[in-house]
Amino acid sequence: MENLYIPATKYTPEISLNAEKGIIEIRGKSYPENTFDFYEPVLKWIEEYFNCCAKDNTVVNFEIIYFNSSSSKVLFDLFDILQEAKEKNNITINWIYDEENESAEEAGEDFKEDFPELNINLIKKSEEE
Amino acid sequence: MAENELIKEIEKAKEKYSQYIHEEEEKENFIKLMEKFVKDLKRHEKIMLRSDKRQKKEYDELQKRLEEVEKLQKAQKKLIDSFIKIIAEAIDTKSSYTGKHCERVPEIAIELAKAASQSEKFEFEIKNEQQETEISIAAWLHDCGKIVTPEYVVDKAVKLETIYNRIHEIRTRFEVINRDLIIEALKRKMNGEDEKKVDEWLKKEQKQLQDDFDFIAKLNVGSESIEESTLERLQNIANREWLRYFDDTKGLSKGEIERIPEEDFNQKLPVREKLISDKQRHKIKRPAEEIEEYKKYGFKVEIPENLYNYGEVYNLSIKKGTLTKEEFFKIQEHAMMTIKMLEQLPFPDYLKNVPIYAGAHHEKLNGKGYPRKLTEKDLPIPARIMAIADIFEALTASDRPYKHPKKLSEAIDILADMVKKGELDKDLFLLFLTSGIYLEYAKKYLKPEQIDDVDVNAYVDYFTKGNKTN
Repeated sequence: MENLYIPATKYTPEISLNAEKGIIEIRGKSYPENTFDFYEPVLKWIEEYFNCCAKDNTVVNFEIIYFNSSSSKVLFDLFDILQEAKEKNNITINWIYDEENESAEEAGEDFKEDFPELNINLIKKSEEE
Repeated sequence: MAENELIKEIEKAKEKYSQYIHEEEEKENFIKLMEKFVKDLKRHEKIMLRSDKRQKKEYDELQKRLEEVEKLQKAQKKLIDSFIKIIAEAIDTKSSYTGKHCERVPEIAIELAKAASQSEKFEFEIKNEQQETEISIAAWLHDCGKIVTPEYVVDKAVKLETIYNRIHEIRTRFEVINRDLIIEALKRKMNGEDEKKVDEWLKKEQKQLQDDFDFIAKLNVGSESIEESTLERLQNIANREWLRYFDDTKGLSKGEIERIPEEDFNQKLPVREKLISDKQRHKIKRPAEEIEEYKKYGFKVEIPENLYNYGEVYNLSIKKGTLTKEEFFKIQEHAMMTIKMLEQLPFPDYLKNVPIYAGAHHEKLNGKGYPRKLTEKDLPIPARIMAIADIFEALTASDRPYKHPKKLSEAIDILADMVKKGELDKDLFLLFLTSGIYLEYAKKYLKPEQIDDVDVNAYVDYFTKGNKTN
C-alpha cells in the first residue's frame, strides 16, 4: 500500500503514514477549518493498513502541540481504531509532549486513562533536545 | 435537551423496544446501536468538558502573557525615554555654553509640530501618540552626535581660542625680557659705560634667563617630583617684572571678560607685569547648586571651591603629574556622572544593579576610593571586577597620549600592590592570574614588547601562604 504524507500547514499537523516501516506519525498543531474532512483520508488509510498490510510492529507517534475539540473527537476515533487493531497487532503508541506544554501533557494523561489497554507511553521532551 | 437526559431516554428506549424485536441478531444489533449512541454521547460530553477546561486555561494563560507583554512594553518605553534623556543631558552637561539646549529644543519642536498638525496650511498631521513620540525622540536626540565633538570646538568663542600649551606665551615673555636686557645694555653703552663690562653683564643676565626658561620648561612637563626649593625658585623667576604696553582686556570672549575684575579695565599703560602670575581671571567659579546636587547623591568626595584655576604659578606648582586639584576632581567626576546618569534610568528588576556595578569601579575595599567611599560590605563582586578590569586596561593601554604603556609584569605588580593595600579584592586578583585571563588579554591587545613573564605562582604563594614575592 502507498504511503501517505501531508505536510504541516499553519492549522494542520504534519502527517506521515508509512506502510513499509509501520510508522504512523502526527506532529504539530491541529485546528483545521473542517476537521472531519481533513482527517477522513487519514483514518481511512489507517483502517486499511490494519486490515491488509500491518507490519509485525507498528509504532504510532503523536506529538500534538495544540488541538481543537473536533480534533479531539478524531483522536478518540483514532484510538478506537487502534484499540480494535491491537487485538491482532503489535502496536506501540507514544504520546510525545514538550515539558513546557501542560495542556498536551494533560491530554496525553486523559487518553491514557480512557484507553488503558493501549498502554500509551507518555514521553516528555525537554527543551534542549 | 441535556445530554445526560438524552442518554437516559436512549437507555429507556433500549429496554423498551428491544423486547419487541424477536429475531436475536436484530435485537443484538439494536442494543449495540443504542449502546454506541450512549457511548458517543458520553464521549462527546467528555470532549466538550475537557475542551472547555483547556480553553479556559489557555485563555487565562493568554491574558497573563498579554499583561506581561504590556507591562514589558511600558517598562521598555520608559527605559528608552530615559536613555534618550540622559544622552541629551550628557551633551548639555558637557558644554556649559550650550546649557539646556537639548532639553529645550523638544519643547519648542513638539509645540510647533502640534500647531502645524492643527493648522490647515500644512499637509501634516499628528495622527496618534506614537507619531508624537517619534517627533519628541528626534528632537531630544537632534544633537546626539555632539557627544563626539571636542569641547574646545563647541565652546570656541574667539578665533584664536584653542587648547593651548601656555609655555609658548611664557616663552614669549622671556623673549621680551631678553630684548629688554639687550636694550638696556645698548642704553648703558650709549651713556658711556664701559662696553666690556656691559657685555659681560649682558652675557651673565642672558645666561641666567636661558637657565630660568629651561627650568620653567622642564617644570611644565611635570615628570619630576617637586620639592620646596623648586617652588622657591619658581616664585623668584615668576616675580621678575616686565612692561606691558598693550591692553590685555581686548579681543576677549564674553566669558573671559566676565572674569576680569573692574580695576583691570582701562589701566594706564604701560603696566608692570609679573613674568609668571596667578590672576583673578584665572579662576572660574563653581556654581553653588552643583555642590548641593552632589551631596544629594551621597558623594563623599571633597569638592574644590573653584571649577577651574588656570593660574600660571598655580599650575606650574602642581606637585605630582599635570593636573590641578580642580582638574583632578573633574576626572574623578566621571564616576559621579556615571552614577547620576545610570541612577536616573528605570532599569527593570533584572538590571537593577547596573548603576552600582558601573558606578563603583573607583571604590576601594578599604573605603579609600571614590565617589562614595564605599567599603567591602557595600561592594558586590561585579563592582570589584570592574575595578580590576578598569585599572589593568588603563595600565597596559598603549594608545594614551599622556603616558607610556606598562609592561605586563609591571601592571600585575601594581595590581598586587593595590591588593596589599586593601584596595582590590585578593581572590579576584588571584583568579585573574590563575585563570590565565590576564595573559589571554595581553596576547590580544598588548604590544609584543610589553608582554613579559609574570610569576603567577609567586603571587599565589604570597597571598595564600604569606610568603614574600620576588
